[in-house]
Amino acid sequence: MSSRRQFLGYLATAGAAATSGALGGRASATTEAPAAQPAVRSFSPHGEHQAGVLSAGQAVLHAVALDLLPGTDRAALGRLLRVWTGDVEALMTGRGPLGDPTPELAEGGNGLTVTVALGHGAFALPGLAERKPAGLSAVPPMRHDRLEPRWSGGDLLLLVAADEATSVDHAVRRLLRDAEPFARLRWRQRGSWRGTDAHGRTVTGRNLMGQVDGTGNPPPGALRDQTVWATSPSWFEGGTTVVVRRIRMDLDDWDRLTRDEQEAALGRRLASGAPLHGSQERDPVDLRRLPPGSHVAVAHPSANGFRRIFRKGVNWTDERLAADGPVVESGLLFLSFQADVARQFVPVQQHLDRADALNRWTTATGSAEFAVLPGLQPGRWLGQGLIGP
Amino acid sequence: MTKRTWCQALGGHTLPGMRRRSSLLLSAAVLSGLSLAGCGDDAPTSAGGSPSPTVAAVHAEQGVVVTGAWVRATTGSATPSMTGAFMVLRNDGDADVVLVRARTKVARMTQLHEMSMVDGKATMHEVSGGIRVPAGGSVTLQPGGYHVMLMKLARPLPAGEEVPLTLTFSDGTSQTVTAPVKVFAEETGGYSPTPAPMH
Repeated sequence: MSSRRQFLGYLATAGAAATSGALGGRASATTEAPAAQPAVRSFSPHGEHQAGVLSAGQAVLHAVALDLLPGTDRAALGRLLRVWTGDVEALMTGRGPLGDPTPELAEGGNGLTVTVALGHGAFALPGLAERKPAGLSAVPPMRHDRLEPRWSGGDLLLLVAADEATSVDHAVRRLLRDAEPFARLRWRQRGSWRGTDAHGRTVTGRNLMGQVDGTGNPPPGALRDQTVWATSPSWFEGGTTVVVRRIRMDLDDWDRLTRDEQEAALGRRLASGAPLHGSQERDPVDLRRLPPGSHVAVAHPSANGFRRIFRKGVNWTDERLAADGPVVESGLLFLSFQADVARQFVPVQQHLDRADALNRWTTATGSAEFAVLPGLQPGRWLGQGLIGP
Repeated sequence: MTKRTWCQALGGHTLPGMRRRSSLLLSAAVLSGLSLAGCGDDAPTSAGGSPSPTVAAVHAEQGVVVTGAWVRATTGSATPSMTGAFMVLRNDGDADVVLVRARTKVARMTQLHEMSMVDGKATMHEVSGGIRVPAGGSVTLQPGGYHVMLMKLARPLPAGEEVPLTLTFSDGTSQTVTAPVKVFAEETGGYSPTPAPMH
């Protein structure tokens, strides 16, 4: 293994030309392309939509839920959103927010996104209830849920993601600090994702079961736009809703299965992500040729009246201390973006709750819904269309 | 005295990125309030690195460029009747310019202050003669250094409000900037005229 790494490292430093990537996952060291240069990239804080909804392949994501303090009314929420807007503009352009005693930690080129969303509690404030988007509704209880208050709910949500973890730690700290007069941390879930392969090429990525996870997302274009972006009420145009589900995986039991058994539960090949009846990850799914109850057979849009979501996942591992030592829990932090929770996410999730073979190994331990604010225009602040003036 | 020594004599603070010179950065700084320029920057001359004529002309007309202005929130502060305002002042012109006065409707009294170490203690005092922004350089007003002291506040300043600050310079120009109010933890000097008594 180490000699292979050394060989790849040699190829990279020698700047050897790419040979062929056609062999994909079965390529041997002698035919592999050189490692890609580390990507330096940034996302704009401005646009029709907040960039963190569709941004792809960031290695680290923190989902941070806050509760409003008792004194935070509509006007105070507006002030918080003004402060956060300045912070988001600074952080996403590689600057420390105003008053940051450690601005060097905000250096850019890190693919950082900060996404701001409001939960049910924010819309319960006087003057905002009648402006709550119809697309933001509560997810009803599911039979397989084991929800813990510790991982559920929240009046506000920040999704902070980047290509490395230090920038995310710093950004979250600044955002929480600047929120102190208005809101306090309710829960934070940290996760990671590998969105590139050994050659630096963009791939769908895998959850901790080994499953290629996210193949079914609508591709860029009208279908994705229609899936994700809300069009009403008018202040919410360009926004979306997000359901955050903390899913615990029983990996110990999953590991006891043979690969055939795992693939039968997934409905896809582990190596390629292809449906069991196909050979490529993106081969069309044919429900009639899949094991009934396999995950893809239940989750696929064609099994759900073509209701769709746009999903992201990040893998997490937490440890809690029990009497006899640390207990490790792992899973997936699942983010489902859609224009309307009740019309898109809920029926699909109810179908999964009834029929998904993966329910034996997956349990939702947290759940929350939020309205992701529309994108930020220069000179304005996030949520200005909601709270005004 | 060269620009550099002015800067050092004044103890002006610089920020990361100040040495970078590019029209992109300078333009972006003007547009979005970047705090990139710093003390010791020579007047832009290098090929491929000078600001566009348009930007330079705007600077010449406007005098000192003010970016990154903010005011420390007073809610929960030990001295809620006073606070500090901070910003970056950049002078792209050929002559030094002095910030002589800062006024705001939220404070009945304002002073230009600096912090310095006296007998190992941070102390604050009014700057005589204003805050000099060297030609081709910049000065950062920040906690622990130069700042605008806002006293006899008409009311508490909660985070997220915006305070208009009118700055008057020795070249006869004045401009009003909008400074967001933010929480800030560091307590050096407390931004009060006399250091808080030790417990």
